[in-house]
Amino acid sequence: MPYILNTDRDREEMLKAIGIDSIEELYSQLPARIKLTKPLNLSSGLSEHKTKKRVSALAKKNVPAEEFNSFLGAGCYDHYVPSVVPFILSSSQFLTAYTPYQPECSQGALQAIYEYQSYMCLLTGMDISNASLLDGASAFAEAVLMSLRITKKKKVIVAGIFHPEYRQTLKAYLAGFDFVIREIAEGTDGLVDTEALKQALDNDTGCCAFSSPNFFGLIEDAPKLADIAKRYGTLTVLVTNPISLAILKEPGAFGVDIVCGDGQPLGSGLNFGGPSFGYLATKKEYTRQMPGRLVGKTTDREGKCAYCLTLQTREQHIRREKATSNICSNQSLNAIGAAVYLALMGPQGLRNSALCSFNNTLYLYNQLKPLKKINLPFGPRIFNEFVWEVKNAQKIIEQLYRRNIIAGYYLGEQFPEYKNGILSCCTEKKTKEEIDELVGVLREVPGG
Amino acid sequence: MDRKTVFAKKTNVKEVNYVGPSGVPLQNPQSYLPQNLVRKDLPLPHLGEADVVRHFLGLAQRNFSIDTHFYPLGSCTMKYNPKINEDMAKLDGFVGLHPYQAPHTVQGTLELLYELEQMLCEITGMQRFTFQPSSGAHGELAGMLMIRKYHQAHKRNKTKVIVPDSAHGTNPATASMCGYQTVVVESTLEGLVDVDKLKSLVDDETAAIMLTNPNTLGLFEEDILKISDMIHKKGGFLYYDGANFNALLGITKPALMGFDVVHLNLHKTFSTPHGCGGPGAGAVGVTDALVDYLPVPLLKKESGELFFDYCLPHSIGKVRAFYGNFAVLVRAYTYLLRLGSQGLRRVAHNSVLNANYVKEKLKDYYEVPFPKRCMHEVIFSCKKQKERGASAYDIAKRLIDYGIHPPTMYFPLTVPEAFMVEPTETESRCALDYFIEAMRQIDREISQDLDKVKSAPHTSFVKRVDETKAARSPDLRWRENGV
Repeated sequence: MPYILNTDRDREEMLKAIGIDSIEELYSQLPARIKLTKPLNLSSGLSEHKTKKRVSALAKKNVPAEEFNSFLGAGCYDHYVPSVVPFILSSSQFLTAYTPYQPECSQGALQAIYEYQSYMCLLTGMDISNASLLDGASAFAEAVLMSLRITKKKKVIVAGIFHPEYRQTLKAYLAGFDFVIREIAEGTDGLVDTEALKQALDNDTGCCAFSSPNFFGLIEDAPKLADIAKRYGTLTVLVTNPISLAILKEPGAFGVDIVCGDGQPLGSGLNFGGPSFGYLATKKEYTRQMPGRLVGKTTDREGKCAYCLTLQTREQHIRREKATSNICSNQSLNAIGAAVYLALMGPQGLRNSALCSFNNTLYLYNQLKPLKKINLPFGPRIFNEFVWEVKNAQKIIEQLYRRNIIAGYYLGEQFPEYKNGILSCCTEKKTKEEIDELVGVLREVPGG
Repeated sequence: MDRKTVFAKKTNVKEVNYVGPSGVPLQNPQSYLPQNLVRKDLPLPHLGEADVVRHFLGLAQRNFSIDTHFYPLGSCTMKYNPKINEDMAKLDGFVGLHPYQAPHTVQGTLELLYELEQMLCEITGMQRFTFQPSSGAHGELAGMLMIRKYHQAHKRNKTKVIVPDSAHGTNPATASMCGYQTVVVESTLEGLVDVDKLKSLVDDETAAIMLTNPNTLGLFEEDILKISDMIHKKGGFLYYDGANFNALLGITKPALMGFDVVHLNLHKTFSTPHGCGGPGAGAVGVTDALVDYLPVPLLKKESGELFFDYCLPHSIGKVRAFYGNFAVLVRAYTYLLRLGSQGLRRVAHNSVLNANYVKEKLKDYYEVPFPKRCMHEVIFSCKKQKERGASAYDIAKRLIDYGIHPPTMYFPLTVPEAFMVEPTETESRCALDYFIEAMRQIDREISQDLDKVKSAPHTSFVKRVDETKAARSPDLRWRENGV
């Protein structure tokens, strides 16, 4: 039997030691009514070789994004992952350890997570970061809950274009509370309508959330939005792509209260959308209201530097129903991966990734501009993706699939007012030739 | 020994070339964006690739892990993580998929998810599963939100959720996040839910009871059918916290015990690695009554083609973006193929056998507060040792010197000096005997050399860590010049 080391003889002797005759006796206290009398209706176990063949056959039925000329982004970005990242994360002592509850035999995980926390602080310009959350959408929801906990107010304003799945997640997380979500639509430029925002803000507002780059790829005037929100005494939550922070102003410099998002661009790869990790960074004064684990630096009995999980009285295993969140497991391995990624890239490498993503995207934008059949609804203040419109967008996407190009994410289903909208993304991996190919094919295809 | 952080290892290496130039002319954001939106400096350290590898592999060596050490952490099911799972999760056809690719390009993945769902339905007796939740607690949240939405849709005024006093902390914390008041039901002296007390707590406002079975004391809740009857009669649901399901694989199904919602920790029972605290996966299954409330999307098959169905008007929405921790699901699927029906049953048998063996061999040394037959884990109380001067904490730390990861301590909260041992089925009798001998030896040491136990561990990279200091003056990040 795979993975079981007891032999029949072991079992016999162990049963004898326990003082019973058969394995079935171990289950004697189960009511007979609930005991299965037939084996589970599953196939019999396969050899490792056959298992491999079967799972590999499924993988082969897929066509990975890399085999297309793909311009998909929309919250999951195809940045280059250096070989060192998966190499380090495959090491048994990181891969197969549990949560580092016992610091004396978990210093590796603890220091790596402490370094991750430090990296996220440097990147965001914030005071502190937790040890990771489950993903960007749930991190966003946790950030809103945290703001409302701190301000003890009931209303959250969600301003501008958000990832639709983040909005859905926020609604689900808030369903059990009597909180009010007020969504502020975008202006004609795709950015937060600041007049509408000012009107929506009031004394009941405990949290004002916006994202920049927003879901349409546009860079908001985040410092200005934070200023407006603060005039009403509300906390501000900024959702951002961590790689964009290599060229965009760090949020800590303009007084945002909580910065969060998905860490996927920092070395997590695509993986069909998971696992990546959620990050959340904030100001020091809100430390005790943070959700999730925190690693702190301390000393051991001999006064030497050591690390451990800390401030656990916020957490469910101590505080139970009064905890700041129910979160227990997080996405530590991916967070450690982000620390490895950032160490490898350094300021130069990270800036290059951001700068090339930005320039590739801008190039595509400028190449599409002269095409008559294509409409660019918003200006070019973009980071790594933008919206373009074309008649029969869905059909065009299908046609391009046949030419081995994935044009981007179709907006019409989630944003009915953009029924001809496509969101296209370029990372640093895109080349001029690939971008030119998309533009060339678009020139050819009928439509518009 | 090298105790420096990555930030203290910076070099002057500035050439980083992982991706060559794209051929597109480069514009600086400064020339393009308003100045107030542009970053001026990025204070990250430069390191060389070889230094990065040495640094992080050096850190890895300071960790115990299931691949390197016996890890009997109660309620965490630290079983061996098969290596084929890793190979399968890293196949190009899985790693390189974007979540928004057209369904016809990801049929293999959808097939895997479809089959995995069917297998988990068979194992639990549930009707449908969602793979979106990324941890056990996340599964609890999704499950309890579904229960909440059901009650709302049926205009039932439900205000409270019942949890046993021995429950995982995530249970009451989840109930709070769903807007419910937590009501605690006490356990009997035998360690089971007190059915009489439960009777006095259950009423029309009871939304659900959240239970693990076996419970966190490692005992099977024998009155589960009575409990289920009691809750269902009042229109409440039974939530199954599947953290402890390992003991019952192929023996019974949560549906047969009366449960309506089940979360399974794929990173426990189904052998996926825990990665220092995640990523995990908390697949959630429900019976017929709750299918309409599952998160979007659900898999659907039409004329042989699989796709994601977003048209679920009663759904709770989403608890995260995309479809969950897919790479974790590949591992669990691989494990299930490998084990099959008989293999799963053997997992249950051997996990229970191993726990009972440890219990039998240590019961004369460490108090067993609940003498009933245990399932996958056994609880000891180090009360007697505490009277002799060494707490559960001291004993746990001393185990590190024997190369054994400490068990879960001081949980459940109802047991003084609790010591919760879950050996799992993948440990050999030989490994168990070593653990047993180490525990007996430590018991002797308490009499012979108490200080050795109280000052343990002695062989680890750091000695006993001052956790109080960490909380009193929190240092949560590196800063240049330490300020």
